[in-house]
Amino acid sequence: MAEHEQNHPAKRPATAARRRSDLGTVLKAGVAALVVLGVAPFFLDIYTVNVLIRALLLAALALTVDLLWGYTGILTFGQSAFFGIGAYACALVFTHWGFGAGWAILALGLGIVAAMAVAALAGWLAFYHGASPLYGSIVTLALPIVLTQVVFAGGRTTGSSSGLSGFPTYYWSIEIWFWIAGAFLVAVTALAWLFVRSDMGRVLVAIRENETRCAYLGIPVSRIKIMLLVAAGAIGAVAGFGYAAFTNVVAPELTGFLLGTELLIWVALGGRGTLIGPVIGAILIDVTSSYLSGSLPFYWKLLVGVLFVVVIVALPQGLMPEVTKLWRRMVPGARRTAKAPTIEPAPVREVAPRVEQPLAVRGVHRHFGSLQVLQGIDFVANEGELLSLVGPNGAGKTTLIRCLADGYERSGGDIKVFGRDLGRGPPDRCVALGIGRKFQTANVFATLTVAECLRVARYRLEPPSIWSSDNTLALPEAARRIVEETGLAESLDTEARHLAHGQKQALELAMVLALEPRIVLLDEPTAGLTRNERERIGAILTSLTERERLSILLVEHDLDFVREISSRVIVLHQGKIVLDGSVKEVVGSELVREIYAGTALDGGGGGP
Amino acid sequence: MNGEAAILAVSGLTSGYGEAIVVRGVSVAVAPGEIVALLGKNGMGKSTLLKTVMGFLPAREGQVTLHGRDVTRDPPYRVARQAIAYTPQEQAIFQDLSVGDNLRLGQPDARWFDEELARVGEVFPFLKERLGQRAGTLSGGEQKMMLVARALMARPKLMLVDEITEGLQPSIIQRLAKALLAERARTGMAMLLVEQNVRFALEVADRWAVVKLGEIDDEGRSDAPDAAARIAKHLSV
Repeated sequence: MAEHEQNHPAKRPATAARRRSDLGTVLKAGVAALVVLGVAPFFLDIYTVNVLIRALLLAALALTVDLLWGYTGILTFGQSAFFGIGAYACALVFTHWGFGAGWAILALGLGIVAAMAVAALAGWLAFYHGASPLYGSIVTLALPIVLTQVVFAGGRTTGSSSGLSGFPTYYWSIEIWFWIAGAFLVAVTALAWLFVRSDMGRVLVAIRENETRCAYLGIPVSRIKIMLLVAAGAIGAVAGFGYAAFTNVVAPELTGFLLGTELLIWVALGGRGTLIGPVIGAILIDVTSSYLSGSLPFYWKLLVGVLFVVVIVALPQGLMPEVTKLWRRMVPGARRTAKAPTIEPAPVREVAPRVEQPLAVRGVHRHFGSLQVLQGIDFVANEGELLSLVGPNGAGKTTLIRCLADGYERSGGDIKVFGRDLGRGPPDRCVALGIGRKFQTANVFATLTVAECLRVARYRLEPPSIWSSDNTLALPEAARRIVEETGLAESLDTEARHLAHGQKQALELAMVLALEPRIVLLDEPTAGLTRNERERIGAILTSLTERERLSILLVEHDLDFVREISSRVIVLHQGKIVLDGSVKEVVGSELVREIYAGTALDGGGGGP
Repeated sequence: MNGEAAILAVSGLTSGYGEAIVVRGVSVAVAPGEIVALLGKNGMGKSTLLKTVMGFLPAREGQVTLHGRDVTRDPPYRVARQAIAYTPQEQAIFQDLSVGDNLRLGQPDARWFDEELARVGEVFPFLKERLGQRAGTLSGGEQKMMLVARALMARPKLMLVDEITEGLQPSIIQRLAKALLAERARTGMAMLLVEQNVRFALEVADRWAVVKLGEIDDEGRSDAPDAAARIAKHLSV
């Protein structure tokens, strides 16, 4: 059955040598940062140190915004909510219940747990299957507004609009508070740095670049986003707790969406997707604003507004990328040369013998409003069969592929995959059943390198590390052959957006095959490739069906190509199957000539 | 080819992405009413060449002239105003607009819309029936046809087309070849095509050029008896 292989993650020895991690660099940078923070209070006046403590805590919060927005593409206005939850947990416990080490730990724990619970709920609302990116922004915008109202409504308990102050707290010296805040920021930054540079960090970028492709690679996008939001919520709560314990004052503004929006501005100014940029941006702006808001209350806000507009127009990427560029120009050796991983064979998975047909489709139909795109589709795909799907443009070929790869897509009918009902699940469920889909237009991750795209495709079979990256890339034979024979092997460290159109097609095909599917749905996989490249891909597909007994369903316009590689052909016309037979029957038929091919049968071919 | 008389003259053009040079010193000229096909394997710089001509990518070296006027540094919209239609490989449609609105947006003057639609609708009959449909719900091949129709309806003097036949059914490709030749005969439109379908390219184009590693490797006339064999040799190695 299908579970046999899907729950069989590749067992590979994860020795230290094959993993690459920035741990050494991060430790060095972390120690340097700690030393600077350690001596800083002795050189700064007490007001600056005071202001800096707040800025360091808010910088940690800005960092979580960068993780969500800069790396994963979730535009969030709501990180202030978690900061507020942490702060209020501290103030409420210390005011109403008691003060002491035990109470402090309880308050911190309560703050973290409450923030994580709220984050999980907000994440579930914002990222369930079918939610558009707008949902996330709206939910995270509503969250701080709702929380602020809760605080207002809390009467004496929450202090309403005046907040809570004067509760007992630790009256440590200001240096100690500074060191605590500094150490917290350094620790969070170091962990986040390892995380975003790890293989899992690349998955976040893949989600930002192309969520659909991720879902069709079997990556549980919603779950990853919710977990990230929960982690970001926990970090925010700790920062908020620290803030309340240090300042001894909490106010509704701490949970407000104004702070949430300011965080976005800091991140954008510092440079989103750079981690360090937002941290520095947050510290600089918060400290400067503390100094200037007193003397220039109105002009200061205007100044920040103008600065924001100028940076967004002149440097859409923020300040940090410019600093990095300058640094690289001045220090020639500073350019980081990311070494592409070496490709190695993936362990061969045992495939349990099956009795059922790979794919049995019965009575599938699909309509968009009153427009019937597919009607009464019945067919089966057998093991080791290369089934071509041909038909005029607009016949419903892509719609059929879509119905097979996403359980929500069809309007009615049954689809059985190895005897199991496809049901009404999202694409990642279809992937788990053994289905891999190649899109009609090349669908890759623009800013990831070729090797990274392929690694992301292996997510389901080899869960990525969250703190290091692998020096090797294990690929099954078919994916390896595509990579080698289409010249992608020489471009492993090229960003996918710089590939030519046909190479993108080949890369996506390799990504789909890296999933090790049992049923492969290919929507015009060779469009944009030369005749020669098509033939090579044809040979790889044929060997997949013959040697590995895969079932391939291929949408293709080049009838010559179809004739060479198919074992059976289905003709779709106006949403119905009009022919299902051998290559000879179909290609020679009068009907196909009439509705589809015209006079020359090799019209779609690449050459003479 | 005389550069003065050409509608499009590209000389010594070099461009690329970031630090990667993709097009290296390419020179190509298209005379009024002439159809030229650029062939070659993937990743050789054909699409990049078209994007640089249109001004989507900056030229590092060399010159692009249209009707004898230097447009090398012009932004895409100013190039397009020289009666140049560009059909990119990526499906550049307005997903949420209707088919009719998509077609209208390519029209310099709305008064001729019905007339132009009737003319182009002969090649792509489905367009006339589905003017109200949301363009994003067209199939991949239909979107491609809509793009070509949109370009033709503007009666361009020069069309730059990136892989027009990709994803089209064979009978439509044949019809398209005839239609493009008829359009050229009627309006004197010139074309620069990027193609993988050599058979289509040779049927439509007067001249061909094979691009290899960003340079023009070989070129010739389409009616030369050895054209197909020479191209096949270039594409197979």
